[in-house]
Amino acid sequence: MAERGGRKFLDPKVVARLVQQPMGTRLPMIGSVAGLHRSPHRGSSVEFAEYRKYAPGDDIRRVDWRVYARTDRFYVKEFEADTNLRCYLVLDCSGSMAFRGEQGDSKLDYAKRLIATLAYLFIHQGDAAGLICLSDRMVWDIPPKRNPRHLQAVFDVLEEVEARGETALIRSLHDVAEKVRQRALVMVFSDFFCPVEPLLECFQHLRFQKHDVVAFHLMDRLELEFPFDRPMRFVDLESPETLLSEPAVIRDQYLKAVRAHLEALREGCHRFAIELQSVATHEDYERVLRAFMRGRALKIR
Amino acid sequence: MTFLEPLLLWGLPLALLPVIIHLFNRLRHRSIDWGAMMFLLSATRKSTRYARLRQWLILLLRVLALVGLVLAVARPLAGGWLGWMFQAAPDVIVIVLDRSASMEARMPGGNVSKRAEAARVLAEAAQSYKDTSRFVLFDTALRAATEVGEPSALPQLSTAGATDTAADIPATLQAVVEWAQRNKVGHFEIWLASDLQASNWQPDSEQWKVVTAQIAALPQTVRVRLLTFEQPPVTESWSVQITEVLRRPRAEPPEVEVVMMIERNNPAPAIMPISIGGEGTRAQVDLELSGPSYRYRHKLPVESAMASGWGRVELPADDNPRDNVAYFVYGPPVLLRALVVTDDPAVGRILQLAAAPFANDTNLVAEVVHPDRTAGVVWNDYALVLWHAAPPGGAVAAALHQYLEAGGALWMFAHGQPGQFEGIAWGEAQAAEEGKSWPITQWQRQEGLLANTEENLALPLNDLEVRRRQPLGGTGIALASFEDRLAFLSRRVVGRGELVACSVGLWPEWSNLREGWVLVPAVQRLLQTGGRRFTQAGMLSCGQIVPTGGGEIWTSVEGAKDVRLHAGVYRSGLRMVAVNRPPAEAAVETVEPAKARGLFGPVPVQMLGERKQGEGRLQAELWRMFLFAMLVFLLVEALLILPPKPETAPAVRFQMKGGTP
Repeated sequence: MAERGGRKFLDPKVVARLVQQPMGTRLPMIGSVAGLHRSPHRGSSVEFAEYRKYAPGDDIRRVDWRVYARTDRFYVKEFEADTNLRCYLVLDCSGSMAFRGEQGDSKLDYAKRLIATLAYLFIHQGDAAGLICLSDRMVWDIPPKRNPRHLQAVFDVLEEVEARGETALIRSLHDVAEKVRQRALVMVFSDFFCPVEPLLECFQHLRFQKHDVVAFHLMDRLELEFPFDRPMRFVDLESPETLLSEPAVIRDQYLKAVRAHLEALREGCHRFAIELQSVATHEDYERVLRAFMRGRALKIR
Repeated sequence: MTFLEPLLLWGLPLALLPVIIHLFNRLRHRSIDWGAMMFLLSATRKSTRYARLRQWLILLLRVLALVGLVLAVARPLAGGWLGWMFQAAPDVIVIVLDRSASMEARMPGGNVSKRAEAARVLAEAAQSYKDTSRFVLFDTALRAATEVGEPSALPQLSTAGATDTAADIPATLQAVVEWAQRNKVGHFEIWLASDLQASNWQPDSEQWKVVTAQIAALPQTVRVRLLTFEQPPVTESWSVQITEVLRRPRAEPPEVEVVMMIERNNPAPAIMPISIGGEGTRAQVDLELSGPSYRYRHKLPVESAMASGWGRVELPADDNPRDNVAYFVYGPPVLLRALVVTDDPAVGRILQLAAAPFANDTNLVAEVVHPDRTAGVVWNDYALVLWHAAPPGGAVAAALHQYLEAGGALWMFAHGQPGQFEGIAWGEAQAAEEGKSWPITQWQRQEGLLANTEENLALPLNDLEVRRRQPLGGTGIALASFEDRLAFLSRRVVGRGELVACSVGLWPEWSNLREGWVLVPAVQRLLQTGGRRFTQAGMLSCGQIVPTGGGEIWTSVEGAKDVRLHAGVYRSGLRMVAVNRPPAEAAVETVEPAKARGLFGPVPVQMLGERKQGEGRLQAELWRMFLFAMLVFLLVEALLILPPKPETAPAVRFQMKGGTP
């Protein structure tokens, strides 16, 4: 039951189409086993890196004897190291993520589809994928593992979490930055309905820890266009507050505020080298993922 | 504020419709669970001032537009509101109705006369003051006050009916002022309806200043409302006027010549049937008219040379039926007396014969008198004075001036001595070279003394041999000139009379003028001109006779008519007169409405122009105004609800690829 439910967000056809394309990081990663990704350390792959003078303690097997024969000096030949990747998929479960537009999924469901697919793809290519769900009440934290069986745990949590409560993104992201010590790929799925400056500080914190950060910014078409013409009573998803309003009166100011928020976020992400993926939830998630993966395509060796 | 359709004011609550719709809309709002509350709150905070103001303004404009519409369809009256806002209804409303003949012209596009339309419009406007004001009608024909009990009966009142009179607007206003002073009325308004005909309004008259000053000086408030009907006729219009009725005593059978003038507003050639008739007889003549004005002489056979009678000339119906009929009367031939003043008996005899050529014609009498014996002459008894002596001076000159002013005719011949009279001067006598004379080459052949005969034969002026002359100077107009352009005969109008000066004397050594080929017809014509005041005594303008209490009773020969008001033929005892529309009523000049308003000087005037028949209400302008206001409100509302100008980023830009470094 749980398995069936957990796989609700994973579409095998989509996965089958996307699995052809391996995914990488933009930064070197430190992994525990050999993998597809670049490591900051020298290793034993086939990719030549550099020559280095022999130092006592170096393995003499790595001395390049041909160079010694020509120059009468000891040089050590170094190769790039390839390692695996650890990916943290961070899902914002605040109340606003429950917003559902005229049709289709809520933002949370949409994010779950993305996460399930990405988790599958990462584990399938030998990387470790973990899940952190953030809300103001509780935090699910599934550490990244490479084991395919681990996927089930991820799916179970995805099935279980609901969107409720106020946004705790800022506090929680700082915690994540502190907790994840080794370099990792951190992907945040949220609508980022919070002040931009503190959010950017979180991102900066993550970047300081040398994580590769990707922000999936999810918004609904109604939130983006505000196409209402009749008086509406807006009921806040994160608090008991309601607001009766004439959309025609406030539309301009609303759109202006949204625009300013998006602009600040985009500019901040650019400043801290965060990859920002703006996603409108009426778009096809496969297309969104394909575009994302194309940007991170690995060179097939 | 009063309305013609007050029931429609029940529609005023409709103006609350936008407010109700607004409230209803707010009530039937939709609820939605919303995530992006932070933007919503920020927008609500920021958009309060202007957007809310705009929203309320739109609501207000919608309400106002509906109010304007309801008020417009309820037909608000001008009275007591706009223009005269917040002023109490006057105690008395004096309706001054122009009843002149020109007001009988039809309204453009209708079959109602301007006078009837004016009466209708005024009666309608008066309805709203029925309970508060008293109405007094002053008509321009009688200039007497008529109390009007029920304003709606105004068009039916006999004192508002058609007349053939002229109107004297300043004199009528004067009568109103005197009436107001006499009756000590309270605040009053003068509602004046007229076609602004210039001859009636006399814009140059000094009386305007007097009467408006009097109105302004009245202790009570007086306001004037002007209802104008100055539109020219849109269809063809013509009028007939009898200028002269002449007896032709020598004709066989005896006949009367009726000279009439037909004026038209369409100068294209046309054939017009006119009907001319008297008691029992009637003749139809088809006239081929060309040009805007046509003079026609009609010979009417009469029973005897002494017969008297009357007749009328009638044109087909047109825009104004009042100016298509003219009446004339004729009586026994009038005695025309001529006086020859000369110191030369031979000349006296010639002139006497020229003035009275037939010894057995007792209607033409000529007397000769020596210049020294003119002291006791009663000049006004004469139709013509032929002066062949030195120009008069002193008392005689003054008496002759009066005679001319009264309509007499005077012919002065050269007498050899230089001199001047009434602005015409005779110079030093000149003699032509031996065996030569000054030929006369130019003279007025169309009209006047030297005009061609009825058979279109020219007077033989070129046969005149002038050997001596005294050149004429001064202000006269030359009727005939010599080859060297000096005047032979000069004419000057003095008052109603006519002065003719001749540069030649009647002595044989001066010229052969005494032979009579030119002299006799010219003298006879001048005699007729000078005698017109005797022969045309029976032709009067309507309004000229105002019966006094002296027992003079005028009765119409055809039906019951009032001699003061209507054209026609009237008898009083043995005297018979033809009363016609005053000639000035045919004039088309009108006073500009703005100028008419200016004539009132310090008195407040409101213009109420009437444009179309059927919209003829004083209140018409008001509902248009409300309708206009409604349109303005709707236009402003439309401008306010227009979406704001698209900014640089028209919609929220949400891009797939964000800040990838």
